[in-house]
Amino acid sequence: MNARVRLSSVWIGALALFLLLPIGVVITSPFHSSAPEWNHVAHSILPTHLLETIELLLLAVSMAVVFGVSAAWIVSSFDFPLRGYFRWALVLPLALPTYISAITFAGLIGPTGSISEVVYSSTGLRIDIMSLPGLALVLALVLFPYVYLPVRVAFSAGMSPHLDAARMLGGGGIRRFFRVAMPLARPAIAGGALLVAMETLNDYGAVKYYGVRTLTAGIFRSWGGLYDVGSALRLSGILLLLVVVLITAERSVRRRAGQEASHRPVVRVRLLGWRSLAACTGCLLLFVFAFALPIGSLLIDAERTIENARFAQFLPALGNTLFVGIMAATVTLVIAVLLAFAERRSKERSRLTRWTSIGYVVPGAVIAIGVMALAGWLTNTTGVVLIGTIGLMVYAFAVRFLALASQPLNAGLKQQPRAMDEASRLLGSSPWRTFTRVNLPLLRPALIAAVLLVLMEVVKELPLTLILRPFNFDTLSTKVFEMARIEEWRDAALPALLIVLCGLVPVLALDRLLDRRPR
Amino acid sequence: MIPNTMIPVLRLLLPLLLFYGCAAPHEQQVVNVYTHRHYDTDQAIYDQFTKATGIKVNIVMADDDELLSRLEAEGVNSPADLIITADAGRLGLAKQRGFLKPIHDSLLDANIPKHLRDPEGNWFGFTMRARVFAYDKNKVKPEELMTYNALCSPRFKGQVLVRPSEHVYNQSLVAAMIAHFGPDSALKWCKGIVANMARDPKGSDTDQLLAIGEGIGSVAIVNSYYIGKLMNSTDPARQKAKSVIAVAFPDMGGNGTHVNISGGGVAAHAKHEANAIMLLEYLCSDASQAAFADGNMEYPVKPGIPAAATLQNFGHLAPDTLDLSMLGKYNAEAVKVLDASGWR
Repeated sequence: MNARVRLSSVWIGALALFLLLPIGVVITSPFHSSAPEWNHVAHSILPTHLLETIELLLLAVSMAVVFGVSAAWIVSSFDFPLRGYFRWALVLPLALPTYISAITFAGLIGPTGSISEVVYSSTGLRIDIMSLPGLALVLALVLFPYVYLPVRVAFSAGMSPHLDAARMLGGGGIRRFFRVAMPLARPAIAGGALLVAMETLNDYGAVKYYGVRTLTAGIFRSWGGLYDVGSALRLSGILLLLVVVLITAERSVRRRAGQEASHRPVVRVRLLGWRSLAACTGCLLLFVFAFALPIGSLLIDAERTIENARFAQFLPALGNTLFVGIMAATVTLVIAVLLAFAERRSKERSRLTRWTSIGYVVPGAVIAIGVMALAGWLTNTTGVVLIGTIGLMVYAFAVRFLALASQPLNAGLKQQPRAMDEASRLLGSSPWRTFTRVNLPLLRPALIAAVLLVLMEVVKELPLTLILRPFNFDTLSTKVFEMARIEEWRDAALPALLIVLCGLVPVLALDRLLDRRPR
Repeated sequence: MIPNTMIPVLRLLLPLLLFYGCAAPHEQQVVNVYTHRHYDTDQAIYDQFTKATGIKVNIVMADDDELLSRLEAEGVNSPADLIITADAGRLGLAKQRGFLKPIHDSLLDANIPKHLRDPEGNWFGFTMRARVFAYDKNKVKPEELMTYNALCSPRFKGQVLVRPSEHVYNQSLVAAMIAHFGPDSALKWCKGIVANMARDPKGSDTDQLLAIGEGIGSVAIVNSYYIGKLMNSTDPARQKAKSVIAVAFPDMGGNGTHVNISGGGVAAHAKHEANAIMLLEYLCSDASQAAFADGNMEYPVKPGIPAAATLQNFGHLAPDTLDLSMLGKYNAEAVKVLDASGWR
């Protein structure tokens, strides 16, 4: 190792540290901020909110796993009418932000929802989705593609020899699924479930509306109700602990399972008769409830309000959304690439870079506190005003969404044999040259996936945008928020649809990318 | 170190990143507003203000707690000139933390009743909303709803609709009770409400009104302007509620009906103080007060400006004249009382 190389790893370490700073502010809060109401928070708020968080997590994650795994299994191992459509259509719910989906569902099957009303007047039965289990269902319907996508890839690519062997030995579909496919897909399921869990923990809009008391709701209760930012930060720390537990669990599942890399496509069994009908209906129901129903409802509302809609307002918001999204995606990608390079060189994943992923689970508003504290400190020492600049917003997005960019990059790098790097080094290339000329070009799909994932999330993101934005800077999500705050859901439908549209493009592109691998 | 292909990209991005948003300072007069309010009415009033004075109104709209955190982080470098929230409690908090500066302005003092502004001139209320009862007129008689305590009677078991205690409107109602009668009687009231709830608290104020229409409960604790908006709504889904709802203005122990305000104060480190005061004055002008009343169904604060006809039809509002800074003082205590009562 020469001095220059060592210097570059110091730089990259510094970069990782730079991204961890805002979260450091949160974690170290017991040492620098007082929490006058902590006694009440710890005794009255924490127990109930922790309990409901765990209930919601268990329910939402298990439902998302059931939806995601069964859909992936049906779509990748059987042939039935419309299979080709469902294969990609079942990814679409990802484009719906959870809070928009939750509000839309409440409008349909909430206590005073339009469908509930019809059911009540015809049968006397009251339907009410607005409860903890109901919210878990809504979250699972929106988030199950996080499980469906990787599991579908695992089912179609990795395990054909095993499945073929099982079939030749006479194992039926159900037996093959539980005995062979499920165990082999465990890492993919665990990875997807982790993402679902993190999104569930992070949600604030939907839990608030449904009256569910999660830790994130507790954070805002301490902050806004008790005027105690210190207690809010401590609760965020506990939330982070919970996440560390989840990440550790996911890792242990991953470690126990071996990676398969067969490139032979799975032979799909053609379903006939009622089986084919059942498969088709199952996928259709999932698609309708997760996507078609909320979108349909949004479309109807948007159509009703379109006359008085102010497109003149929405167009700059759309422009701002895309501008910030692309900016954040690019910057996050550059950082992720640098960190991936560091990791490739250091052979073992450095702890520092691993922890940079944790921003993904910290509620946006809490990251905002950390980011603002840092920026404020910098302003007071140097005089450079940072709060209210796009630059700071983009930094905050990078802190929050780096995990989404790093994950595909690291997964892709893992598949490249190190012998390749060594050959390049032996031929006289520097590590960086090796990385950019050998590793990166092969990572193209992962790079695109990284950019798209971040873009999709930034378009949906609300709290960071709301608080860090410059004067007179509206995005689509802040527009939805404004309308939702004055309880005019219908007026929010149009910008909400625009958000979904912006999200659909990356979601579909992502699906295509994964398809490019051998089926 | 950086590959050649990336250099032009970085060259393009870096300046954009750093300087976008720090718009070049030019001649035009501005006033920078941090606001929690998010109404079209406000924007229309700002536009008129700009037309009348030539002063451009720059807005950051976010939740008030986050705005206060932003002010704290920005310190003396904050660009904010005027802070507007929809809760007197937050204004009191902003004053206590030194984010506001006292203003003595005879026009503001003349236009705003004393109990709706800070005695030291740190903040000024410019609209009022009352926390009232909406009820199903086919099931409940108005004389059954004369006081807040009436809702705790066994008569309303399984009938009371209200949103979660997480919302500041519920917190400031309880804070007012604590200010008047102490935490014990506030706790007793909260427990009485919890015992009579028609369902676990969920949804928004408007959702509680719709639930009356659906017969899920017969009385809801809601803010006046949501009822006003519902009554003027042409949305077919809201007609059922509209046809059965009437409004009661409950009394809090002889003090009147609980009100909260939207108000503003000049930021401690305002760079455009004079413009901020002009905007505040403009918000209390006859034209703006009428716009708040008719456009947003809020009660105007300026004496002599009538409330919207819809609100007047509901009945007469006799507002509690409690010093509103008490709402901020007791908000944390109110949350504790709400937690203790089991109000979700």
